[in-house]
Amino acid sequence: MEKIATICVYCGCGCGLVLHVEDGRVVGASPSSAHPVSRGRLCVKGWLAADFVHHPDRLKTPLVRRGERMARVSWDEALSLSAKRLREIREESGPDSLAILTSAKGTNEENYLLAKLARAALGTNNVDHVARLCHAPSVAGLGIALGSGAMTNPIRSLLSSDAILVTGSNTTEQHPLVAATILEAQAQGATLIVADPRRTQMAELADIHLAPRLGTDVAWTNGMLNLIIGRGLIDEDFINERTEGFSALKELALRYTPAAVERITGIPPADLEKAAAAFGEAPRAAVVYAMGTTQHSSGTDNVLALANLVLATGNVGRDGTGIYPLRGHQNVQGACDMGALPIFYSGYQKVEDPAARRKMEAAWGTDLPATPGLTAVEMMEAAEEGRIRGMIISGENPMISYPDRGQVIRALRSLDFLAVADIFPTETTALADVVLPVASFAEKDGTFTSTERRIQRVRRAVTPPGEARPEVEVAAELLRRFSVTADYASPEEVMAEISSVTPSYGGVSSRRLGISGLSWPCPSPDHPGTEILHQGSFPIGRARFYAVEQQHLPEDLDYPLFLTTGRSLFHFHTGTMTRRTHLLDRERPKATVDINPADAAALGVRSGTMVVVESATGSLDIEARLTAEVPMGTVYIPFHFAEAPANQLTTRTLDPTSKIPGLKRTPVRIRRAEG
Amino acid sequence: MTSTTAFFLRREDLIHLLEELSGTVEVVAPVLVWDEAAFATWRGEALALDDKNPLASPVEFFLPKKEVLFRYVQYSGRYTFSEDPPKARLIFGMRACDLRALKVIDGIFGADLSDLPYASKRRSTIIVALNCTSPGEGCFCRSMGSGPVAEEGYDLLLTDLGRGYLVEAGSPAGVYILRAHHRHFEEADPEDIKEKGRLLALAEEKMIKRGPFPNPEKIREAIDGADWEEAGRRCLACGGCSFVCPVCHCFSVLDQGVPDGERLRCRDSCILSGFSRMTSGANPRPDPGERLRHWYLDKFLYIPEKTGLFGCVGCGRCSRVCLGEADRWSFFKEATE
Repeated sequence: MEKIATICVYCGCGCGLVLHVEDGRVVGASPSSAHPVSRGRLCVKGWLAADFVHHPDRLKTPLVRRGERMARVSWDEALSLSAKRLREIREESGPDSLAILTSAKGTNEENYLLAKLARAALGTNNVDHVARLCHAPSVAGLGIALGSGAMTNPIRSLLSSDAILVTGSNTTEQHPLVAATILEAQAQGATLIVADPRRTQMAELADIHLAPRLGTDVAWTNGMLNLIIGRGLIDEDFINERTEGFSALKELALRYTPAAVERITGIPPADLEKAAAAFGEAPRAAVVYAMGTTQHSSGTDNVLALANLVLATGNVGRDGTGIYPLRGHQNVQGACDMGALPIFYSGYQKVEDPAARRKMEAAWGTDLPATPGLTAVEMMEAAEEGRIRGMIISGENPMISYPDRGQVIRALRSLDFLAVADIFPTETTALADVVLPVASFAEKDGTFTSTERRIQRVRRAVTPPGEARPEVEVAAELLRRFSVTADYASPEEVMAEISSVTPSYGGVSSRRLGISGLSWPCPSPDHPGTEILHQGSFPIGRARFYAVEQQHLPEDLDYPLFLTTGRSLFHFHTGTMTRRTHLLDRERPKATVDINPADAAALGVRSGTMVVVESATGSLDIEARLTAEVPMGTVYIPFHFAEAPANQLTTRTLDPTSKIPGLKRTPVRIRRAEG
Repeated sequence: MTSTTAFFLRREDLIHLLEELSGTVEVVAPVLVWDEAAFATWRGEALALDDKNPLASPVEFFLPKKEVLFRYVQYSGRYTFSEDPPKARLIFGMRACDLRALKVIDGIFGADLSDLPYASKRRSTIIVALNCTSPGEGCFCRSMGSGPVAEEGYDLLLTDLGRGYLVEAGSPAGVYILRAHHRHFEEADPEDIKEKGRLLALAEEKMIKRGPFPNPEKIREAIDGADWEEAGRRCLACGGCSFVCPVCHCFSVLDQGVPDGERLRCRDSCILSGFSRMTSGANPRPDPGERLRHWYLDKFLYIPEKTGLFGCVGCGRCSRVCLGEADRWSFFKEATE
């Protein structure tokens, strides 16, 4: 039996995982004790991370659509056909009729090459990935407020915090290792404040639980600021020396009195006061947030309001302070860093910046498009309208994960050509013209960048099944078919190219990545990496306050309830991996809609009753589960389940800045199913 | 079981001995994986014997986290079955706590109808134990009567005396190895045996804080009196305590693949709600606290009733992995004070 050290494939924590390999098969996983995040512990998904690797459903040969049937073909045929069709479409309709969705499950090297494929080979900036649906508002909001959209401090920094505000994060289920760190800090005396409409385990364990109405985050955040200013708890030195724009914010905050905030959010003034005092008085306070903050049509405003809170109290740049956008995928940070975004090259160098473009053109030996591309949800709209005709989707399953499923089906069916690379057949591969079987995390080398900007090595433990290949090889093959040089002997050589064109990864090489990895920015080979950002200055000089107002939330009498979606501890995303992990699927085998018992009584629904949930975009038959975890007026559906896809109900109401859809608040109505 | 004669193995000869042994069997030993010791197939690298007892117990070589019981192939409506023979293995460096765990599992999987996949691995594995002279911070084997000194269940037992190892045989297989590789062993000096006694007394002393263990009645009272609801509120349902426990042996069986495929046996966990949930959806242990209570009851009441031995060997691994930061030992300490 061999024991191979690698990184977990699930959430952004980026835990150190040891794979147990027997006779070429992964038979188990255990945590690394020396790893800075896992420290000998894992969540249930981590303990079972190896279980799906050898599942018989794995895609093993390239497939090509022949009418209704998918035929097995050689790699050469599949890739040549893909290149030919993409080239034909480009000749007919121009490069911007093509698009690539990359994968936050892929390595940095894979994401970099796919972004390069879009720009250098296809000639379009239409490249995006699932970050659009998770932390686009953080990249946008923290980008303009602090100068960097990533987590400011490492996870373990929370152990030094005196107060931790967790909002829009079901941390014990979604980032269990971060939750364990927060609870450790609480046990050492830190005050834990949780803002969440649902009474999650985190809320249950909190010292103060604020339960705002869905979509009212700006109001209570401004309200906390109002009280912090009123009590003289702002850090005036920090504001004067390191920020700008505070006076406008102060003026705005004055209007968010506890009484006004209560009217909007439903949070009792006494609770808000307790939270403001605990946060404001703490010598070191931190804000931790996730999708509950960002997946709103006011996502960027929500992030800016939180940034105001940490800046006004001077909680940036020190151990125990900071703002922590928790990333959902193990490499969604890396996919963003690698420029799998329509407006950035790797390292957030703007495609519109002529100097950056010239640099990339020289590196890649080709001309590059100057206009920003479309974002993920915009791509789907463009596909339905025929403006996008050919697409490569790598390791994403938009049929389950994207909003407004009906529209996604129409969009993908409208495409003239769709190639999908994945490890398992999915609802999205079912619509593909070409299906490419690729290697899972246990079958390839490369790097992942975790939520705390930690670049870590992923190691091949076993060989891919059948003819499946690591996607670095697939992307390189495609690049060559478009006459772009791509002679990489190994993923390390791809990383060498990445570090040569990406300032924040400038000093990164596989050789340097030990058990603790390296945190970017790491500009040169002798640089130790940067664990805490913004220590003396911000990348934009002074940090900026943005005075953001609470959005007006119209009521819709036809749809009197609000649906919020999320993930379960036992499943990951569209369940391609976890639903093929026996113990995890047994733990949560089906979707339910969580309804507050009072709402259920009014609807005449009991636990186990089949109900129909309807929104403006679709309807869903689903089993009801009664629980006081959701407040009255709110219902909750996890989105993992193809049998009852929650995204059949969600809408494409986009945040104007970041283009994230408001997945967390959809007006719905519920009735008992007939019969 | 006491050996008749003790031998001395010089430090530098250990590697030579293992090299010879690995010519005939797969040698498994603690090696460094990412700066910590882990049991893996030994290929001549440095041994990691000074580190903590590895988090993944060597019991996994007898009860794998996942194993293929057999493969099935369908041809013209008829099924044929095949299974792999067990591997001939030698596990080097197993400690007293894990040896005791095997004895407990022998009492369960060996009783009544013997569990064949387990029994065949037991039969085909040689165990070379190492007395534990540097117990970890969270260890409490002494309190459980399972360590740090290995008393039985090994083929060979080594004690690190600093300049070399004292070697004692505990089975015919052990005696055979001593004879077959006699050129590496010299007869032990009586002083060496005294030195072993002194070192092991020192190791026991290190653990004096933890123990002696309360009697079973006290444990029952502690379990009855504990606030399981509060314990359940803090449990993050990772299942880690059951996945690392060397005594935990629950499994589920599933067939993967149609029409051809494999019957797999996978480790299961009573910490998960699906473990006790019935097809109807009813669950006799619906809350995390009740499941934790069951975990303790099994280890301290049910397994002792069945095997005469505690279902806990005091290795402390459950506390090392607990996401809720629960120190399992302190539960009894507090409850019985």
